[in-house]
Amino acid sequence: MVNAAGQLFTIEGVAAGLIMLLTAYIIVGTTSLYTPGDTHISDMQLEQLGNDALHMMNTPNTSAAASIETPLAYIIRTNDTEQFGQQFLWFCNNTTGGTNDNIQFSADIYYRNNATNSVNHYHLSESRIPSGGEQSMRVTEWVLVDNNLFIGANMPAEVDNRYQEVLVEVLLWRN
Amino acid sequence: MLDDGGNLSIDFLAGMTIFMVALIWVANIVPGLLIGLQSRSIDLDAIAYRTGVILVEDPGMPATPSWDTMTEKTEILRFGLSASKDSPNILKLNKVEQFFCTSFSYPTDYQSRVIFGDRPYRFNISLKTFDALMTKSVGDIKPDGYGYIRRLVKIKYPSNTTIDAGLKKYRNSENVTYHTFSIDLNCTELIGEQPNLAYQINPRQDRIQVNITNLSGARVWHKDPLSNIITMENIEFERKNPQTSVFTVVTNYTDCIGYPVTCKFFAYIDGATTYNPNVPVIVNDNISVRFSPGYFYGIASDDNSQIRIKYTFRLSHADGDNFFNNSFTSPYFYNYSPSQVTQPKLTEGALEVAIW
Repeated sequence: MVNAAGQLFTIEGVAAGLIMLLTAYIIVGTTSLYTPGDTHISDMQLEQLGNDALHMMNTPNTSAAASIETPLAYIIRTNDTEQFGQQFLWFCNNTTGGTNDNIQFSADIYYRNNATNSVNHYHLSESRIPSGGEQSMRVTEWVLVDNNLFIGANMPAEVDNRYQEVLVEVLLWRN
Repeated sequence: MLDDGGNLSIDFLAGMTIFMVALIWVANIVPGLLIGLQSRSIDLDAIAYRTGVILVEDPGMPATPSWDTMTEKTEILRFGLSASKDSPNILKLNKVEQFFCTSFSYPTDYQSRVIFGDRPYRFNISLKTFDALMTKSVGDIKPDGYGYIRRLVKIKYPSNTTIDAGLKKYRNSENVTYHTFSIDLNCTELIGEQPNLAYQINPRQDRIQVNITNLSGARVWHKDPLSNIITMENIEFERKNPQTSVFTVVTNYTDCIGYPVTCKFFAYIDGATTYNPNVPVIVNDNISVRFSPGYFYGIASDDNSQIRIKYTFRLSHADGDNFFNNSFTSPYFYNYSPSQVTQPKLTEGALEVAIW
C-alpha cells in the first residue's frame, strides 16, 4: 500500500523554494541595475562646468577689451600658466553659497604647424598631475591667438609666429 | 485496493503550478515598476540641467519685446535670463532682477514658466556674482537629496551716461529764459555698430540711464535767492524715422503722471531715493533719469528710428542767463564713445539650480 502523506510535504517544499528564489530574483533585479546612470550625470555636470569656465574665460568683460583679445587668448599668447590656473579654478570652484568646489585640472594646447602641416601640442598648466585613476572629463575651446613677437607673444618656440586658432583642451576632475 | 488520496495532490499541484506561473509573470513586471522609483535622482538631475539651460541659454518668451518688459505676468510664457539666443551665458541684468523679484509667487509662477514637468517639483535657484555685490535666490531650503546643476555666467550691466552741466561746452550764450538740452539715441547706429549682443546698446530693449550733474555750476548766481531757482519744466521724447526729416514729439513727462509702472521711466531729483512724479519741479543740482527696458520700444517704431530726449529748464531770473543748453549747437550723442557713455560691462557669476 502506497502512503500519500509524503506528496504534500514535497509540494510545500517546492513552493517554498520557488518563493525564496523569486524573492531573491526581485531583490537582485531591483538594486543592481541603475548605478551607472548616476555616474553619467555627474560626468555631465563636470563637463558642463568646464565648458562654461573656458567659454567665460574666452569672453571679455567690455567691448573695448573684446576688440583687442580675450582673457584666455592673452593667457595663451603670453604663456601665463599661473594665471590660467588661477582663473580656471576661480570659475570652476566658486559656488553661490556654502563651501567651494574642489576641482583639479590639466590643460594642453593644440596648434597646427604650418611648415609640416601637422597638429602638435604642448602642456599649458595643471593644478595637479593626473595619475590616470581619476574620473576626469575632457572639455575644449577654440581660441584665436595672435602669436606675434612684436606684441609680447611668449608661446613655445615651435609655435608659428602668426595669427592662428588653437584648441585648448582641459582634463578636469573632482578631488 | 489503492488509496485515492493522490488525486487531490495532483489537482493541488496543477493549481499551484498555474499560481506560480502567474506569480512569476507578475514578479517580472515588478522590477520595471521599481525602475521608476530607483531612477528618481537621475530624473531630477536631468530636470535641473534642463532648467539651467533654459535660464542661461534662452532669452525667454516673448523675446521681442522681452518678457522682462511685460507689465502683466500672464503675458510671460517662459523665463529665460540670456540677453539673446545668440549670446548664451550672458544674462541681462533686468531679467535677473525681474526673475528674482517678489512679483512672482513661489513655486507656482516658476513651475509653469521654467521648471515644467509632470509633477510640481520644488526647487531652489540661486545666483551670485563673484564680486559678491549681487546674491539672489528663490525657493525652499534644499533637502538632503536633490537634482543639481551649476552654470557659470556673466551678467550684462547696462550703459549709462553722466553729463557735467557745468562744462563750458554745454553752456549757451544766448539770452533766453527757457533752455533745452537734447540727447540723441540713434538706434540704427547703436545696433549696427556693435553686432555682438553682449556689448550692444539697444535702446528698445536695454535700460538707459542719463545723469545730469552740476546744474548749480552751470548758471550765474545772483544775490537774490529767488533769482537762482532752476525749474525742470518737462522732458519730451521725440522720434525721427528714416523716411522723415524732422523729429516729432511722441510723448512727454506729464503723459506719464500716475502711470509710473507702465511708463517705466523714473526721474530722481537731487539724489532723492524716490522718483519725482510730476513737473515742473525745482532742481538744485542734479537729475538722474532711468528708462527701464522697453520704455523706448513704443517710442521708437523700429530699429531704424532715432530718439531724442529733450529736457526743458526755466530760470527764475527774468532776463535769462548762460545755462545748460545745446539747442544752438548739436545734440549730445548716446553712443559707443567711452568719453560720452559708460559702456555695458559684464560681471562674472554662478547660477545654481536644485530640484527635488
